[in-house]
Amino acid sequence: MLHSLFLAAAVEAPAAAAHAAHAAAEPGLAEHFGLEWKYVLIQAVSFIILFVVLYWKGIKPTIAAMDERTQKIDAGLKYAEEMRAQLASTQQQTEAALKEAQQKAQAIVAETQKSSKEFADKQQKEAIEKATSLISKAQEAIELEKKKMLAEARTEIARLVVATTERVLAKKLTEADRASYNESAARELAGV
Amino acid sequence: MAAAAKQAQQLARQLFKLSVVDGVVSADRVAGVLEYVEKHAPAHSVLALKAYHRLIATELAKSEARVEHAGAVTAPALTAIAAAMSRKYGRPVIATSVANPALLAGLRVRVGDDVYESSVAGQLAALSLSV
Repeated sequence: MLHSLFLAAAVEAPAAAAHAAHAAAEPGLAEHFGLEWKYVLIQAVSFIILFVVLYWKGIKPTIAAMDERTQKIDAGLKYAEEMRAQLASTQQQTEAALKEAQQKAQAIVAETQKSSKEFADKQQKEAIEKATSLISKAQEAIELEKKKMLAEARTEIARLVVATTERVLAKKLTEADRASYNESAARELAGV
Repeated sequence: MAAAAKQAQQLARQLFKLSVVDGVVSADRVAGVLEYVEKHAPAHSVLALKAYHRLIATELAKSEARVEHAGAVTAPALTAIAAAMSRKYGRPVIATSVANPALLAGLRVRVGDDVYESSVAGQLAALSLSV
C-alpha cells in the first residue's frame, strides 16, 4: 500500500508540473477553485512523512505485536492439541490400567475363591478324620469294655462254679474218699 | 537308734551261729547262749534276743514240714513226706500234721517259706485262675 502511494505521487508529480505550467498560461479549473499545487505537494510530502512516522512507530510495532500474538495463539493451539493428545493417551493408559487392575482383581478373587474352597475342603477332611478317629476310639472303648465285662463275667462264673463245687464236694466226699486222696497226695508229694 | 539295731543284729547272728551244729539247731547250744546273755547282759540285749529268736524260729521252720490235711492221713504217709523233704533240703525234717478242712481233700506241706500242695481246694483254685 505504501509503495502504491509513492508510485501515485511520482506519476502525479510531472503531470502536476505540466498542469501547473498550463494553468500558469491560462487560468484553469484548479485556479478557478483556488487550488495551489505547491500546497498540495507540501501536504503530500507531509502526509508521506506522517505515514512513514506512523508506519515506523505505530503500524510496524502493531503488526509485530499481532504477529507475536498470532504466534502465541498458534503455540497455545499447538499446546492445546498436544494436551488433547496427551489426554487421549492418558485416557488410554488409564483405561489400560483399569483393565489390568480389573483383570488382577478378578485373578485375586478367583485365587481367593480357590483358597477358600481348599480351606473348606481341608476343614471338612479334618473334621471327617476327627470324627472317624472318635468313632474308632469309641468302638475300641466299647470293645474293651465288652472284653472286660466278659472277663468279669467269666471270673464270676468260675468263682461261682468253684464255690458250688467246693460245697458239693464238702458234702459228698466221704472219709474214705479223703483218705484215698490223701494217700495219693502223699505219694505225689513224696516224689517231689 | 539305727546303730543300736545294727549292733544287736550282728550280735544275734553271732549267737545264732553258735546255736547251730551241723546245720541243725542244738537245744543245748541255745540254752548255753541264753545263759550267757542272762549272765553278761550285753548291750541292747533285748533287741539282740528278739533278732535271735526270729533267726532260730526261721531255722526251726526249715526243719519242720507242716502237713495240713483234710481227712485222715496215715503215719507212713507223714514219714514218707518227711523223708522226701529231708532229702530235698539236705537236713533232717520232721513232719507235723494239722487238720485243715478247707482243703476238702488232699495235703498241703509247708517247709519254711516253701509250700507244696496236692489238694482238691488247690486244684479248684488253679481251675478258677485258669478260666
